[in-house]
Amino acid sequence: MSAVQIAFAAGLAGVLVALLASTALVVHKGLAGGSLDRLGIRRATENSGARRVAFYVHRLTGVGVFAFLCLHILDVGLFTLSHRLYDQVQELYGTAELRVFECLLLLAVLFHAGNGLRLLLFDLGLLDSAASKSALGVVAAATGAAGIAGSVFILAPVFK
Amino acid sequence: MNVLTGDSERDRPGRPAAWELDPPPTAAPEEERSRLLEYVVLRATGVLLAVLVLGHFAVTHLVTDVAHDNSAFVARRLSSGLWIAWDSTMLGAALVHGVTGLRIATADYLLDTRARRIAEVSILALGAVLLVIGSLAIGRAAVA
Repeated sequence: MSAVQIAFAAGLAGVLVALLASTALVVHKGLAGGSLDRLGIRRATENSGARRVAFYVHRLTGVGVFAFLCLHILDVGLFTLSHRLYDQVQELYGTAELRVFECLLLLAVLFHAGNGLRLLLFDLGLLDSAASKSALGVVAAATGAAGIAGSVFILAPVFK
Repeated sequence: MNVLTGDSERDRPGRPAAWELDPPPTAAPEEERSRLLEYVVLRATGVLLAVLVLGHFAVTHLVTDVAHDNSAFVARRLSSGLWIAWDSTMLGAALVHGVTGLRIATADYLLDTRARRIAEVSILALGAVLLVIGSLAIGRAAVA
């Protein structure tokens, strides 16, 4: 592995550590209870059951995707310095390990996007509390279906 | 409160839930306005990103396999005005959305005003540095 590839691998490890640490913090604080909605726009009924879990998953997928975004902007930034360095890191994205990571990233982005749109529709008054509850089921199912379909494409070259 | 099962104290009649015990702090009008602005920015960039990021993912993973997304592919893709606009908008929206979301999330865990201020400034500085690095890469690819 070249120096820039080792740096990328270390960065990716940092992303995963940041995600694990955030998960520990969010779960710890979540179990202790507390105000979830600082904005005060969402009604309290949103803060129960599966939708409460969705709140935490939304937050943690957000942290995880943002952590990866930081690393991704840095690796794309190599393009400014040298095409050779950029291509060295790019090679890693095609490895089996990174492809598994990309599948998890896709799942995280899909859930975060779907759930975010659900919250927007709820806040705009287009979904009532019951509809918002069913919409979460739709978001979960769509995340699973699109995530699996995308993963088949992403992982296919590994098995060729 | 069990976060995994979602069992809430609210479900038991007659007992207030944990978050009902402490009344939310009342915010000054200007703070209310900045929270509303923050909320609108978060949602607007979120809707934009749902399209831009999933489209970016589709192009770099489904249309072209990730193994072929090398510098030649980037230079070819970024020779089109559509993709320069796409990537620039995505970069800006993603950083604004990420910085805003992370600021809101960290504020929930930092009760000390000074600690919150330090976190805010650090997150904003990180976002600004990444915006510069990302813009330079898009600019470099656009003129290549």
